[in-house]
This record gives sequence, C-alpha cells and structure tokens, in this order.
Amino acid sequence: MNKVDRDRSHKAGPGRAVVVIAAVLAAMLAGPAAAEDAKTIAATVCVACHAGDGNSVIPMFPKIAGLQEEYIVKQLKDFMSGRRKSDIMAPVVAALKAEDVAPLATYFSSQKMKAGEAEDKKAVALGKLIFHDGNEETGVPACVGCHQPEGVGHVIYPRIGGQHATYVAQQLKNFAAGERNNDVSRYMRVTAKRLSEEEINAVAQYIAGLGAK
Amino acid sequence: MNKFLTTMMVVLSLPLAAVAQTPAWNELKGELKAALESKGDPVRGEKAFDSCVGCHRKDASGRTSGAYPRLSGQHATVLIKQIADIRAGRRSNPKMEPYLDDHALTAFEIADLAIYVQGLPISSENGKGPGTGVAAGRQIYDRDCASCHGGKGEGNAEKFYPMVAAQHYNYLLRELKFIRDGDRRNANPDMVKAIKPYSTADLEALADYMAQLAPPKK
Repeated sequence: MNKVDRDRSHKAGPGRAVVVIAAVLAAMLAGPAAAEDAKTIAATVCVACHAGDGNSVIPMFPKIAGLQEEYIVKQLKDFMSGRRKSDIMAPVVAALKAEDVAPLATYFSSQKMKAGEAEDKKAVALGKLIFHDGNEETGVPACVGCHQPEGVGHVIYPRIGGQHATYVAQQLKNFAAGERNNDVSRYMRVTAKRLSEEEINAVAQYIAGLGAK
Repeated sequence: MNKFLTTMMVVLSLPLAAVAQTPAWNELKGELKAALESKGDPVRGEKAFDSCVGCHRKDASGRTSGAYPRLSGQHATVLIKQIADIRAGRRSNPKMEPYLDDHALTAFEIADLAIYVQGLPISSENGKGPGTGVAAGRQIYDRDCASCHGGKGEGNAEKFYPMVAAQHYNYLLRELKFIRDGDRRNANPDMVKAIKPYSTADLEALADYMAQLAPPKK
C-alpha cells in the first residue's frame, strides 16, 4: 500500500475501516479456520481408519489421500444422504457439518497416495490384462479408459492406482450386487457385474501395485 | 488442430443441412433428428468421448480383434444414427447399450462426439482377414456394394452409409452376417436385399477385401 492509498483509506472514514476489518476477520475465520478445522477432524476422526494423511494402512479401509477433490465431496455427500450406504461411515458423517465437506476434500486431495504392492503375484498378469484391455468376450471395458494410465483418475473417475486390493475387490463386488449404486450412469455397476470373481481379485491386485512408489 | 477441427465442422454442416428426405428405415425424428441438426462441438466431443475409450481406445481405433469397431474417421452422420438407433432399441448391442443410456450422453453430446471422432486420423493398422478372399471379394464388392459404399469403401455421409475401408475384418464379417440374418435390425432394406443371397464364404471374401482397403483420403 503506497502513501496515496493509505490517505484514501483514511479519508474513507471509520465506517469503511470497520467494514474492511470485519471482512478480514470473516476471511480469517472462514478460510484458514475451515482448513484448520479439516486438519483437526482428519487428525481426530478420520485418522482412526484412514490415517491422518489419508494413507490408510488397514486393507479394508480405503486410502483417501490424493483422491480427486470432486470425488471426495461426492462420496461424503452420498454417505450423508444415504445414497452410498456404509454402517461404518454413516455415524461418522452424521457428526460432520455440511461445511466440513469441502475443506476435508481439499485436505485429503492434497495429500499423496502411497503405492501399495500386489500380494498375489500370480494374479497380476490377468489383472494387468483386465486393466489395459478389459474383456472383449464379456464386454468389460478397460479400466484405463476412465481411470487413466497408472490409475491416477480423471475428474469424476477416482484415483485407484495404489489403492488397497481388499477394498477395491470389495467395492467391485458391492457394485456388482448393486449394494453400492452411487456410480455415475451405472458404469461401475454394469462393468463389475461382467467381471468374474477371479478377474475382480486379479485386477484389484494389479491396481494395488500401481502409482508412485 | 483447431483450424482443422473448425474446417471439419463446416464440412460436416453441409451434408447435414442437405439431409431432408426421411426413408422409413431411417426416419429422422426424436433425438436422431435433434443430434443431426445440432452443431457438434469437437472440443466438447473429446470430453464426451472419455467414456468410450475403455473399449474403442483413445484414438478410436477400436480393437484389431474386431470385438469393437474402429470409429476414427467414420462419418458423423453414421455415428449419430448408430448411437441413436441403439438407444432407441432399433439396433441391438447388449455390450454397449448400458454405457450409452441417456444419463451418460445427451443428444447434443452425441453430436459433439460424432464430429470429434469423425475428425480423428486413421493412423493405426486395422485387423486384416486371411487375404485369400480378396480377389473374390473385390468382384462382389464392385458388383453389389460400390454403388452405395463407394469405389474405395469411403461410404456416403449424406445417406448414412458407413465407411467400410480400414475397418477390422472380424467386425465387418460379424456385422455382414447380422445384416444378412436379420440381426442388425436398423439396416437399410436395400442392403438386406442385396446381401440375402450370399453364402458365409462370400461374406468372408467380402470382409477380406474391405478390410484391406486403404483409409480414404479426406
């Protein structure tokens, strides 16, 4: 701020100064405070299953670090509305405020998902085939089409590269059975239904090993 | 590239404007009409095509196995008709149909992705036939097919006749059989009539010939 500007703001009188101070305070309370709140929630609530940085170490709980921001927002809202059903997440989101959703998504999205490792090495070859080519016989599209090389995800399609195999396989089974039905345009329900159990386990193993080591 | 796409849009809008008559096998109504009349935007089309690449590949070359056809370079009118027909139940395609419902694509997005895909270069190799039927296939093609699908397999955008050159052999053969046997229900009746007398060996020769036709120059 140069001298002229300072003079002008003085001339604007105390009324304007109050407005400016109030605006600054409001911004401090909303912006950084919301981000701080999100970190606090992450460190006190989410941490139990997903770890503080979102890199869950429990195979049945997903890694949420580095997921697309839009995707996290959608999932949290879907858990809140009951569109995505989970006995574990339902009571957790019930304690969240609507305004916590966006900052939480921003926080976890800005973390980096750590790559995992395929435990079933024998399944990886089939998994790789499904991921890159799908199954022409049964009309399974290649995962890479939407989820992108290395499974990094793309806008509404979540990052899957590096995700726990146990979680991925469970979600595919849930989609196939229609127990999870919050996918866009039924893409995942249709696709998962066309996968055999062997293919589901294989592709989940391959996906677990993708991403930056 | 943008200039190229803009040119493609202008080029496409000409035949579309000329589409006037509506034969019974291809009645221009509903979303087929809406999509044909809308000015497709290839930039939006690239985005709409996102959900197709799991099967048709990023460059829209399909699969050389013939499981999924090449789409790149195909006439936008043909693409629009086939998508609209599958959505309306006029052509059966159980593998693709669930990915095409109206939650996934609007009529306008069909126009967008059609103009985008039409403008894609035909770069990679297609799946070829055994090569042994090419000579016999050429005879049949020149006698019965060239008058509609063009001497070089380039098709006819205005009349919704697909480009058949550079298409995968197994896809061509499968669809030829479907049309002959009445399983591709949205085919032009003239086409069904022309293909009816052919043996499967004839169709194999025909597909062999068409698959080795070079991509038409644009």
